[in-house]
Amino acid sequence: MIRLTIDGKRVEARNGEFLLALARREGIEIPTLCHHEAVEPAGACRLCMVEVTKAQWNGFSKLVTACLYPAEEGLVVRTDTERVMKTRREVLELLLARSPRAEAVRRLARQHGITVPKYNVDEEGDNCILCDICTRVCSTLVTGAIARVNRGVAKKVATPFDEASDVCVGCLSCARSCPTEAIAFLDDGLKRTIWGKTFDVVACSVCGAPTVTKEHPLWMAQRKGVVEEDFHVCDACKVGKTGQACRKVMW
Amino acid sequence: MESKLMHVFPEKCTACRNCEQACAFAHLHEGRPTRARIRADADPQQREGKNVLVVCYQCDAAACVAACPANALWRDMKTGAVYHVESRCIRCSSCVAACPFGNMRWEPLRQWPSKCDLCGGDPVCTRFCPTGAIQYK
Ligand code: SF4
Ligand code: SF4
Ligand code: SF4
Ligand code: FES
Repeated sequence: MIRLTIDGKRVEARNGEFLLALARREGIEIPTLCHHEAVEPAGACRLCMVEVTKAQWNGFSKLVTACLYPAEEGLVVRTDTERVMKTRREVLELLLARSPRAEAVRRLARQHGITVPKYNVDEEGDNCILCDICTRVCSTLVTGAIARVNRGVAKKVATPFDEASDVCVGCLSCARSCPTEAIAFLDDGLKRTIWGKTFDVVACSVCGAPTVTKEHPLWMAQRKGVVEEDFHVCDACKVGKTGQACRKVMW
Repeated sequence: MESKLMHVFPEKCTACRNCEQACAFAHLHEGRPTRARIRADADPQQREGKNVLVVCYQCDAAACVAACPANALWRDMKTGAVYHVESRCIRCSSCVAACPFGNMRWEPLRQWPSKCDLCGGDPVCTRFCPTGAIQYK
Protein backbone atom coordinates (compact mmCIF):
# COMPACT_ATOMS: atom_id res chain seq x y z
CA MET A 1 0.00 0.00 0.00
CA ILE A 2 1.13 3.51 -0.85
CA ARG A 3 0.20 6.30 1.54
CA LEU A 4 -0.31 9.86 0.38
CA THR A 5 -2.69 12.78 0.85
CA ILE A 6 -5.13 14.41 -1.54
CA ASP A 7 -6.53 17.79 -0.50
CA GLY A 8 -5.38 17.04 3.03
CA LYS A 9 -7.16 13.70 3.18
CA ARG A 10 -5.01 10.67 4.00
CA VAL A 11 -5.56 7.99 1.38
CA GLU A 12 -4.13 4.60 0.46
CA ALA A 13 -3.40 3.70 -3.14
CA ARG A 14 -2.77 0.41 -4.84
CA ASN A 15 0.59 -0.05 -6.51
CA GLY A 16 0.59 1.70 -9.88
CA GLU A 17 -2.77 3.37 -9.33
CA PHE A 18 -3.13 6.72 -11.07
CA LEU A 19 -4.04 9.81 -9.07
CA LEU A 20 -7.28 10.38 -10.98
CA ALA A 21 -8.62 6.89 -10.30
CA LEU A 22 -7.59 7.21 -6.66
CA ALA A 23 -9.22 10.64 -6.26
CA ARG A 24 -12.47 9.41 -7.80
CA ARG A 25 -12.46 6.37 -5.54
CA GLU A 26 -12.16 8.77 -2.61
CA GLY A 27 -14.99 10.94 -3.92
CA ILE A 28 -12.74 13.88 -4.86
CA GLU A 29 -13.92 15.47 -8.08
CA ILE A 30 -11.43 16.29 -10.85
CA PRO A 31 -12.94 17.37 -14.17
CA THR A 32 -11.87 15.42 -17.27
CA LEU A 33 -12.80 15.17 -20.91
CA CYS A 34 -10.38 12.60 -22.34
CA HIS A 35 -10.80 9.98 -19.63
CA HIS A 36 -12.69 6.76 -20.38
CA GLU A 37 -12.34 3.73 -18.16
CA ALA A 38 -12.51 1.33 -21.09
CA VAL A 39 -9.17 2.50 -22.45
CA GLU A 40 -5.73 3.47 -21.20
CA PRO A 41 -5.32 7.11 -20.16
CA ALA A 42 -3.81 9.43 -22.77
CA GLY A 43 -3.33 12.82 -21.12
CA ALA A 44 -4.91 14.53 -24.08
CA CYS A 45 -7.28 17.13 -22.62
CA ARG A 46 -5.02 18.53 -19.85
CA LEU A 47 -8.05 19.27 -17.67
CA CYS A 48 -7.11 16.91 -14.87
CA MET A 49 -4.05 18.90 -13.79
CA VAL A 50 -3.25 18.71 -10.09
CA GLU A 51 -0.36 20.11 -8.04
CA VAL A 52 1.98 17.66 -6.34
CA THR A 53 4.78 18.06 -3.86
CA LYS A 54 6.67 16.10 -1.19
CA ALA A 55 8.08 17.10 2.17
CA GLN A 56 11.66 16.51 0.91
CA TRP A 57 11.19 18.65 -2.20
CA ASN A 58 12.03 21.85 -0.26
CA GLY A 59 8.92 23.73 -1.30
CA PHE A 60 9.12 22.74 -4.97
CA SER A 61 5.83 21.66 -6.49
CA LYS A 62 4.76 20.74 -10.00
CA LEU A 63 1.63 20.43 -12.08
CA VAL A 64 0.92 16.95 -13.42
CA THR A 65 -1.96 15.23 -15.22
CA ALA A 66 -3.76 13.19 -12.58
CA CYS A 67 -4.87 10.61 -15.15
CA LEU A 68 -1.26 9.67 -15.96
CA TYR A 69 0.57 10.26 -12.67
CA PRO A 70 0.97 7.14 -10.51
CA ALA A 71 0.53 7.43 -6.77
CA GLU A 72 3.79 7.70 -4.83
CA GLU A 73 4.59 7.22 -1.16
CA GLY A 74 4.42 10.52 0.73
CA LEU A 75 3.02 12.54 -2.16
CA VAL A 76 0.98 15.61 -1.26
CA VAL A 77 -1.65 16.22 -3.92
CA ARG A 78 -3.83 19.30 -4.18
CA THR A 79 -6.66 19.53 -6.69
CA ASP A 80 -7.81 23.06 -5.91
CA THR A 81 -4.80 25.42 -5.63
CA GLU A 82 -4.75 28.77 -7.41
CA ARG A 83 -2.21 27.34 -9.88
CA VAL A 84 -4.44 24.36 -10.66
CA MET A 85 -7.55 26.47 -11.12
CA LYS A 86 -5.72 28.95 -13.35
CA THR A 87 -4.45 26.16 -15.59
CA ARG A 88 -7.83 24.50 -15.69
CA ARG A 89 -9.53 27.74 -16.69
CA GLU A 90 -6.88 28.36 -19.34
CA VAL A 91 -7.47 24.91 -20.84
CA LEU A 92 -11.21 25.51 -20.85
CA GLU A 93 -10.76 28.90 -22.54
CA LEU A 94 -8.77 27.21 -25.30
CA LEU A 95 -11.20 24.33 -25.70
CA LEU A 96 -14.17 26.68 -25.79
CA ALA A 97 -12.48 28.83 -28.43
CA ARG A 98 -11.85 25.75 -30.52
CA SER A 99 -15.21 24.02 -30.08
CA PRO A 100 -17.74 26.70 -29.07
CA ARG A 101 -20.75 24.46 -29.64
CA ALA A 102 -19.58 21.39 -27.73
CA GLU A 103 -22.03 21.01 -24.84
CA ALA A 104 -19.62 19.16 -22.52
CA VAL A 105 -17.03 21.93 -22.95
CA ARG A 106 -19.58 24.70 -22.50
CA ARG A 107 -20.91 23.13 -19.32
CA LEU A 108 -17.46 22.76 -17.76
CA ALA A 109 -16.50 26.28 -18.85
CA ARG A 110 -19.68 27.68 -17.31
CA GLN A 111 -18.95 25.88 -14.06
CA HIS A 112 -15.60 27.69 -14.03
CA GLY A 113 -17.13 31.06 -14.77
CA ILE A 114 -16.25 31.22 -18.47
CA THR A 115 -18.93 32.03 -21.02
CA VAL A 116 -16.94 33.91 -23.65
CA PRO A 117 -13.31 32.84 -24.06
CA LYS A 118 -10.59 35.45 -24.27
CA TYR A 119 -9.17 33.79 -27.38
CA ASN A 120 -10.55 34.21 -30.88
CA VAL A 121 -13.49 31.88 -31.16
CA ASP A 122 -13.46 29.59 -34.17
CA GLU A 123 -17.10 29.98 -35.16
CA GLU A 124 -16.70 27.18 -37.71
CA GLY A 125 -14.98 25.00 -35.13
CA ASP A 126 -16.37 21.48 -34.97
CA ASN A 127 -17.02 19.68 -31.72
CA CYS A 128 -13.91 17.50 -31.78
CA ILE A 129 -11.49 18.42 -29.02
CA LEU A 130 -8.98 15.73 -30.08
CA CYS A 131 -9.41 13.87 -26.82
CA ASP A 132 -8.50 10.63 -28.56
CA ILE A 133 -11.24 8.58 -26.89
CA CYS A 134 -12.78 7.41 -30.17
CA THR A 135 -9.47 6.36 -31.66
CA ARG A 136 -8.37 4.58 -28.50
CA VAL A 137 -11.73 2.81 -28.29
CA CYS A 138 -11.71 1.70 -31.91
CA SER A 139 -8.05 0.74 -32.09
CA THR A 140 -7.87 -1.20 -28.84
CA LEU A 141 -11.40 -2.60 -28.56
CA VAL A 142 -12.87 -2.68 -32.05
CA THR A 143 -11.14 -2.80 -35.42
CA GLY A 144 -8.80 0.18 -35.58
CA ALA A 145 -10.63 2.00 -38.34
CA ILE A 146 -9.78 5.55 -37.29
CA ALA A 147 -6.72 7.45 -36.12
CA ARG A 148 -5.51 10.96 -35.47
CA VAL A 149 -3.93 12.31 -38.64
CA ASN A 150 -1.88 15.39 -39.57
CA ARG A 151 -0.04 17.78 -37.27
CA GLY A 152 -0.76 21.08 -35.57
CA VAL A 153 -3.93 22.92 -36.49
CA ALA A 154 -4.68 20.37 -39.24
CA LYS A 155 -4.79 17.50 -36.75
CA LYS A 156 -8.05 15.58 -36.89
CA VAL A 157 -9.60 12.16 -36.50
CA ALA A 158 -10.12 10.29 -39.75
CA THR A 159 -10.04 7.00 -41.57
CA PRO A 160 -6.92 6.38 -43.72
CA PHE A 161 -6.90 8.95 -46.55
CA ASP A 162 -10.42 9.98 -45.53
CA GLU A 163 -11.75 7.05 -47.54
CA ALA A 164 -14.47 4.64 -46.47
CA SER A 165 -12.66 2.23 -44.16
CA ASP A 166 -12.58 -1.43 -45.09
CA VAL A 167 -12.35 -2.51 -41.46
CA CYS A 168 -15.01 -0.29 -39.84
CA VAL A 169 -17.96 -2.46 -38.77
CA GLY A 170 -20.34 0.43 -38.09
CA CYS A 171 -20.76 -0.38 -34.39
CA LEU A 172 -21.00 3.34 -33.46
CA SER A 173 -18.81 2.84 -30.38
CA CYS A 174 -16.67 5.79 -31.45
CA ALA A 175 -19.63 8.14 -31.83
CA ARG A 176 -21.29 7.00 -28.61
CA SER A 177 -18.08 7.31 -26.57
CA CYS A 178 -17.26 10.78 -27.84
CA PRO A 179 -17.71 13.23 -24.94
CA THR A 180 -18.66 16.09 -27.25
CA GLU A 181 -20.86 14.28 -29.79
CA ALA A 182 -18.47 15.27 -32.53
CA ILE A 183 -18.86 12.17 -34.69
CA ALA A 184 -21.73 12.42 -37.12
CA PHE A 185 -23.64 9.35 -38.19
CA LEU A 186 -26.94 8.60 -39.86
CA ASP A 187 -29.18 5.69 -39.01
CA ASP A 188 -32.68 5.35 -40.39
CA GLY A 189 -33.11 1.74 -39.31
CA LEU A 190 -32.33 0.40 -42.77
CA LYS A 191 -28.97 1.99 -43.53
CA ARG A 192 -26.31 3.35 -41.26
CA THR A 193 -23.61 5.76 -42.41
CA ILE A 194 -20.52 6.66 -40.43
CA TRP A 195 -17.06 7.86 -41.51
CA GLY A 196 -18.24 7.93 -45.11
CA LYS A 197 -19.20 4.27 -45.22
CA THR A 198 -22.78 3.05 -45.53
CA PHE A 199 -23.88 -0.21 -43.93
CA ASP A 200 -26.99 -2.34 -44.27
CA VAL A 201 -28.73 -2.70 -40.93
CA VAL A 202 -29.92 -6.26 -40.42
CA ALA A 203 -33.66 -6.48 -39.73
CA CYS A 204 -34.75 -8.74 -36.86
CA SER A 205 -35.63 -12.05 -38.48
CA VAL A 206 -38.83 -12.22 -36.41
CA CYS A 207 -40.33 -8.71 -36.23
CA GLY A 208 -38.21 -6.74 -38.68
CA ALA A 209 -36.94 -4.19 -36.14
CA PRO A 210 -33.43 -2.89 -36.83
CA THR A 211 -30.59 -4.71 -35.05
CA VAL A 212 -26.90 -4.25 -35.90
CA THR A 213 -24.95 -3.92 -39.15
CA LYS A 214 -24.17 -7.03 -41.18
CA GLU A 215 -20.46 -6.57 -40.50
CA HIS A 216 -20.78 -6.28 -36.71
CA PRO A 217 -21.63 -9.95 -35.96
CA LEU A 218 -19.02 -11.17 -38.44
CA TRP A 219 -16.39 -9.26 -36.51
CA MET A 220 -17.76 -10.51 -33.16
CA ALA A 221 -17.88 -14.10 -34.37
CA GLN A 222 -14.26 -13.84 -35.51
CA ARG A 223 -12.94 -12.08 -32.47
CA LYS A 224 -15.01 -13.57 -29.66
CA GLY A 225 -16.53 -16.73 -31.09
CA VAL A 226 -20.04 -15.46 -30.40
CA VAL A 227 -22.90 -17.25 -32.22
CA GLU A 228 -23.65 -15.14 -35.28
CA GLU A 229 -27.35 -16.09 -35.52
CA ASP A 230 -28.08 -14.60 -32.09
CA PHE A 231 -27.27 -11.22 -33.57
CA HIS A 232 -30.10 -11.40 -36.07
CA VAL A 233 -33.01 -11.37 -33.62
CA CYS A 234 -33.80 -8.24 -31.61
CA ASP A 235 -33.82 -8.33 -27.81
CA ALA A 236 -37.62 -8.14 -27.54
CA CYS A 237 -38.17 -11.10 -29.89
CA LYS A 238 -35.50 -13.10 -28.11
CA VAL A 239 -37.45 -12.59 -24.88
CA GLY A 240 -40.54 -13.89 -26.68
CA LYS A 241 -38.63 -16.92 -27.92
CA THR A 242 -37.23 -17.57 -24.46
CA GLY A 243 -40.77 -17.43 -23.07
CA GLN A 244 -41.99 -19.87 -25.73
CA ALA A 245 -39.15 -22.23 -24.93
CA CYS A 246 -39.95 -22.05 -21.19
CA ARG A 247 -43.59 -22.83 -21.94
CA LYS A 248 -42.61 -25.85 -24.01
CA VAL A 249 -40.59 -27.19 -21.13
CA MET A 250 -43.33 -26.54 -18.58
CA TRP A 251 -46.46 -27.50 -20.41
CA MET B 1 -20.91 -16.36 -2.79
CA GLU B 2 -24.44 -16.40 -1.42
CA SER B 3 -26.42 -19.49 -2.28
CA LYS B 4 -29.59 -17.55 -3.06
CA LEU B 5 -31.08 -17.86 -6.53
CA MET B 6 -33.79 -16.11 -8.47
CA HIS B 7 -36.73 -18.52 -8.85
CA VAL B 8 -39.24 -17.87 -11.59
CA PHE B 9 -42.71 -19.46 -11.68
CA PRO B 10 -44.39 -18.39 -14.94
CA GLU B 11 -47.50 -20.38 -14.04
CA LYS B 12 -48.13 -17.98 -11.15
CA CYS B 13 -47.59 -14.85 -13.25
CA THR B 14 -50.72 -12.83 -14.06
CA ALA B 15 -48.75 -10.37 -16.23
CA CYS B 16 -49.72 -7.51 -13.90
CA ARG B 17 -46.30 -5.99 -14.60
CA ASN B 18 -45.69 -4.85 -11.04
CA CYS B 19 -42.20 -6.31 -11.33
CA GLU B 20 -41.49 -4.25 -14.45
CA GLN B 21 -42.66 -1.07 -12.74
CA ALA B 22 -40.60 -1.83 -9.64
CA CYS B 23 -37.51 -2.55 -11.72
CA ALA B 24 -37.83 0.61 -13.79
CA PHE B 25 -38.35 2.72 -10.68
CA ALA B 26 -35.49 1.13 -8.79
CA HIS B 27 -32.97 1.56 -11.58
CA LEU B 28 -34.13 4.62 -13.48
CA HIS B 29 -36.42 6.42 -11.04
CA GLU B 30 -39.03 6.31 -13.71
CA GLY B 31 -42.03 4.01 -14.01
CA ARG B 32 -41.51 3.17 -17.63
CA PRO B 33 -42.05 -0.59 -17.75
CA THR B 34 -40.56 -0.89 -21.23
CA ARG B 35 -37.24 0.03 -19.68
CA ALA B 36 -37.37 -2.67 -17.02
CA ARG B 37 -34.85 -5.48 -17.00
CA ILE B 38 -37.50 -8.12 -16.39
CA ARG B 39 -40.30 -9.02 -18.79
CA ALA B 40 -43.81 -10.14 -17.83
CA ASP B 41 -45.82 -10.47 -21.00
CA ALA B 42 -49.32 -11.82 -21.31
CA ASP B 43 -49.58 -15.03 -23.30
CA PRO B 44 -50.54 -13.91 -26.81
CA GLN B 45 -52.92 -16.86 -27.11
CA GLN B 46 -54.66 -15.95 -23.85
CA ARG B 47 -54.28 -19.40 -22.39
CA GLU B 48 -55.00 -19.01 -18.73
CA GLY B 49 -52.01 -18.68 -16.46
CA LYS B 50 -49.40 -19.15 -19.13
CA ASN B 51 -47.50 -15.92 -19.28
CA VAL B 52 -43.98 -15.10 -20.31
CA LEU B 53 -41.85 -14.18 -17.33
CA VAL B 54 -38.27 -13.73 -18.37
CA VAL B 55 -35.33 -12.29 -16.45
CA CYS B 56 -31.57 -12.72 -16.79
CA TYR B 57 -30.23 -16.18 -15.91
CA GLN B 58 -26.85 -14.78 -14.84
CA CYS B 59 -25.31 -17.57 -16.96
CA ASP B 60 -22.02 -19.10 -15.84
CA ALA B 61 -20.67 -18.94 -19.39
CA ALA B 62 -22.45 -15.75 -20.30
CA ALA B 63 -22.63 -14.72 -23.95
CA CYS B 64 -22.81 -11.01 -23.06
CA VAL B 65 -19.60 -11.23 -21.05
CA ALA B 66 -17.90 -13.14 -23.86
CA ALA B 67 -19.03 -10.58 -26.43
CA CYS B 68 -18.04 -7.43 -24.54
CA PRO B 69 -14.81 -6.01 -25.97
CA ALA B 70 -14.46 -3.47 -23.19
CA ASN B 71 -14.63 -5.77 -20.17
CA ALA B 72 -17.64 -3.79 -18.94
CA LEU B 73 -19.62 -6.76 -17.66
CA TRP B 74 -18.43 -8.03 -14.31
CA ARG B 75 -19.44 -10.86 -12.01
CA ASP B 76 -20.66 -9.81 -8.56
CA MET B 77 -18.96 -12.41 -6.39
CA LYS B 78 -21.50 -11.88 -3.60
CA THR B 79 -24.63 -12.61 -5.63
CA GLY B 80 -23.25 -14.31 -8.72
CA ALA B 81 -24.97 -11.70 -10.89
CA VAL B 82 -23.38 -10.29 -14.01
CA TYR B 83 -23.55 -6.52 -13.71
CA HIS B 84 -22.92 -3.71 -16.13
CA VAL B 85 -20.19 -1.18 -15.36
CA GLU B 86 -21.42 1.90 -17.21
CA SER B 87 -18.17 3.83 -16.91
CA ARG B 88 -16.33 1.12 -18.85
CA CYS B 89 -18.99 0.64 -21.53
CA ILE B 90 -18.40 1.89 -25.08
CA ARG B 91 -22.04 1.22 -26.05
CA CYS B 92 -21.19 -1.03 -28.97
CA SER B 93 -24.35 -3.10 -28.31
CA SER B 94 -22.50 -6.38 -28.86
CA CYS B 95 -23.83 -7.77 -25.58
CA VAL B 96 -27.44 -7.06 -26.55
CA ALA B 97 -26.94 -8.83 -29.83
CA ALA B 98 -25.07 -11.72 -28.24
CA CYS B 99 -27.47 -12.71 -25.42
CA PRO B 100 -29.47 -15.64 -26.84
CA PHE B 101 -32.35 -15.00 -24.41
CA GLY B 102 -32.93 -11.28 -24.89
CA ASN B 103 -32.03 -10.46 -21.30
CA MET B 104 -29.41 -7.91 -22.23
CA ARG B 105 -31.66 -5.08 -23.36
CA TRP B 106 -31.03 -1.94 -25.35
CA GLU B 107 -32.63 1.19 -23.92
CA PRO B 108 -33.63 3.12 -27.01
CA LEU B 109 -34.07 6.43 -25.21
CA ARG B 110 -30.75 6.54 -23.48
CA GLN B 111 -29.00 4.40 -26.09
CA TRP B 112 -27.45 2.25 -23.40
CA PRO B 113 -27.49 -1.47 -22.69
CA SER B 114 -29.00 -2.58 -19.40
CA LYS B 115 -29.41 -5.84 -17.57
CA CYS B 116 -30.67 -7.37 -14.33
CA ASP B 117 -28.05 -7.11 -11.58
CA LEU B 118 -30.22 -8.72 -8.88
CA CYS B 119 -30.24 -5.23 -7.31
CA GLY B 120 -26.98 -6.15 -5.62
CA GLY B 121 -28.63 -8.94 -3.59
CA ASP B 122 -32.10 -7.58 -2.84
CA PRO B 123 -34.14 -7.83 -6.06
CA VAL B 124 -36.85 -5.17 -5.84
CA CYS B 125 -39.14 -6.97 -8.31
CA THR B 126 -39.61 -9.94 -5.98
CA ARG B 127 -40.95 -7.67 -3.25
CA PHE B 128 -43.67 -6.29 -5.52
CA CYS B 129 -44.91 -9.52 -7.09
CA PRO B 130 -48.36 -10.17 -5.56
CA THR B 131 -48.47 -13.84 -6.53
CA GLY B 132 -44.96 -14.99 -5.68
CA ALA B 133 -44.10 -15.70 -9.31
CA ILE B 134 -40.57 -14.41 -8.73
CA GLN B 135 -38.81 -15.30 -5.54
CA TYR B 136 -35.26 -14.86 -4.37
CA LYS B 137 -34.35 -17.58 -1.96
S1 SF4 C 1 -14.24 12.85 -32.27
FE1 SF4 C 1 -14.89 12.97 -30.10
S2 SF4 C 1 -13.94 11.17 -29.16
FE2 SF4 C 1 -12.88 11.50 -31.12
S3 SF4 C 1 -11.10 12.77 -30.59
FE3 SF4 C 1 -12.75 14.15 -31.22
S4 SF4 C 1 -13.76 14.74 -29.31
FE4 SF4 C 1 -12.55 12.91 -28.86
S1 SF4 D 1 -18.14 2.60 -36.04
FE1 SF4 D 1 -16.28 2.04 -37.16
S2 SF4 D 1 -14.77 3.61 -36.60
FE2 SF4 D 1 -16.43 3.71 -35.07
S3 SF4 D 1 -15.73 2.35 -33.38
FE3 SF4 D 1 -17.04 1.09 -34.75
S4 SF4 D 1 -15.57 0.15 -36.17
FE4 SF4 D 1 -14.48 1.87 -35.19
S1 SF4 E 1 -22.45 -2.24 -25.08
FE1 SF4 E 1 -21.05 -1.96 -23.32
S2 SF4 E 1 -21.41 -3.77 -22.01
FE2 SF4 E 1 -22.29 -4.22 -24.04
S3 SF4 E 1 -20.65 -5.30 -25.15
FE3 SF4 E 1 -20.46 -3.11 -25.68
S4 SF4 E 1 -19.00 -2.28 -24.19
FE4 SF4 E 1 -19.68 -4.27 -23.39
S1 FES F 1 -8.18 13.32 -18.18
FE1 FES F 1 -6.10 13.66 -17.84
S2 FES F 1 -5.52 14.82 -19.57
FE2 FES F 1 -7.63 14.41 -19.99
